[in-house]
Amino acid sequence: MTLTDPRPVVTPKMSTRSGRGTRWWRAPSSPSGSSPGGNRLTLRLFLVPVIIVFIVLFAIPLVQSIWWSFTDFNGYSAETNFIGLRNYANVFSDPSMLAGLSFTIFFTLGTTILITIFAMPLAVVLNRAFLGRNFVRAIFFFPAIPSVAILGLVWGFILNPLGSGALNSLLSSLAGIGPVPWLSDSTLAQISVIVVGVWTSTGWHSILYLAFLQSIPSDYYEVARIDGASAIQRFFYITLPLLMPAMTVSWLLLMTGGLKVYDLPFTLTRGGPGYSTFTITQTIIQNGVSQAKYGQASALAVIFMLIVGIIVAAQLTLSRRLEGKVS
Amino acid sequence: MSSTSSQDRITRPGAVVTSLIMVPLGLIIGLPFYYVVVNTFKTQAETTASPLALPSTVNFDNYVTVFQNIPVAQAFMNTLIVTVVSVFLMLLIGSMAAFSIIMHASKTMTVLLVLAFLIPGQVTLIPMYRLLTQAGLVDSLQGLIVLYTGGSVFCYFLIVGYMRTLPGEVIEAARIDGAGDGRIFWSIALPLIRPILVTVGVFQTMWVWNDFLTPVVFISSPEKQTLVLQVYKAVGEFSTNWPMFLTLSVIVLIPMVIFFITMQRHIVSGLTAGSVKG
Repeated sequence: MTLTDPRPVVTPKMSTRSGRGTRWWRAPSSPSGSSPGGNRLTLRLFLVPVIIVFIVLFAIPLVQSIWWSFTDFNGYSAETNFIGLRNYANVFSDPSMLAGLSFTIFFTLGTTILITIFAMPLAVVLNRAFLGRNFVRAIFFFPAIPSVAILGLVWGFILNPLGSGALNSLLSSLAGIGPVPWLSDSTLAQISVIVVGVWTSTGWHSILYLAFLQSIPSDYYEVARIDGASAIQRFFYITLPLLMPAMTVSWLLLMTGGLKVYDLPFTLTRGGPGYSTFTITQTIIQNGVSQAKYGQASALAVIFMLIVGIIVAAQLTLSRRLEGKVS
Repeated sequence: MSSTSSQDRITRPGAVVTSLIMVPLGLIIGLPFYYVVVNTFKTQAETTASPLALPSTVNFDNYVTVFQNIPVAQAFMNTLIVTVVSVFLMLLIGSMAAFSIIMHASKTMTVLLVLAFLIPGQVTLIPMYRLLTQAGLVDSLQGLIVLYTGGSVFCYFLIVGYMRTLPGEVIEAARIDGAGDGRIFWSIALPLIRPILVTVGVFQTMWVWNDFLTPVVFISSPEKQTLVLQVYKAVGEFSTNWPMFLTLSVIVLIPMVIFFITMQRHIVSGLTAGSVKG
């Protein structure tokens, strides 16, 4: 099992609408041969499935969520009352919701910062020639392949707080340290979830950086070397600025993925101990599906959507500016 | 690059030091996987006594027991059906929409799809649960497939981006030959966008196959479980028998590992393609 050089099918330039030449959608719209009306109609019909998907899976549920967030709807009682912003106020007084909100933010910041710190230098190293490189690439990337939920369950056994947990038994035989309450202490459990999160995604993000790294022309480095730039200078003045687009992409994925996180904390700790590793998603599911507190859960969902929206917008603006500066 | 020069590069002192640091580091990163696999060949007593040691004897008892007690084949079929059908639908819906918009741009549609793309699944989860309950699709594979077709929007963006890079001459020629839009889509556009279909297909397959959130919320009957959900449910059953749980995990991971080995080139390219959609 080896991991060869990543070769992007679509070049990073794709998204910038550069170089529009003869493109097929600019083909002459006056059809010669087939009936003109029929052509238009077929094209319109092609949109029908995606319109159905949009209405059923996005538009209707979104409107319902927003409406419920202003009501006391619980799914059973006949009458539904408009209660204004009370659900929103409750979000900030309910301990499980606050816990979910704060740990999700902690997880997102923790994993984003740590993964970036590890993945970027790792990509630089994995770009060099050394014996066993393909093995190292594959093994770092591999945790991105299986379901995160299964990895979370397996790590639950490894980090089992009992003396018989794999890590605890290793620690006691190597260093004679007593059983560490990895998942039964609030702070340690939060740190454990973040560490496992970093373990699952660092390799994935470093391969992402690697793909961008390989598009940097090697002449840059040769010129810099001739001019007497040290390895550290070359990293900070060539590699880092040219990796900025990769970094904004990686951050966008890490931030939105982090805010939406559910599988890993839930399978590793079930949100415990107490509410210490509760996530926004777990709170929404628990309130909305299990307890039918639709109003309350919808308010949290709407707040969540706004947070994600603001972060995506901020990221895109920032990345436009950064990319504009570098290129 | 000739083999001698690459040989030189990996025997340089710097490269040797890199190897000496990176290979052990890789082994540490991979240790959890070693732990999982090695313990599937042990008895419970052995696992408790020495979790990381090699098994005293290699026996497949755990595998036999798991297959006897857990309906793995059933869950495998469920996962396979849901994955194949929903990925097929996503690709079809996504490429049809992309073709339509490429040929006849629609500003409104594009804005609506961007909007849909930005809505997190968590926001639509509760209304979808009620909707599927009313439609009698909760706790059914069809219900899962309906939910996963939401992935068409992601497919649309990647496919439309790829279509923009293709030349228009072929389409023009087909038009002159009198081919209708349906015909152009089926016999010209689809073969041309094959590379992106494979890339997106691989990506979406991994998402659906590995997904935990949707099955755990929407599936309750044991006979409708997907593989990931089955592993989750088995934790309670095997909470005291760790080797048995790890064996089930290994069995469930095998299809994904095979998929990774055969598709790794597409996975890596999908990773970069998926990340540039903006």
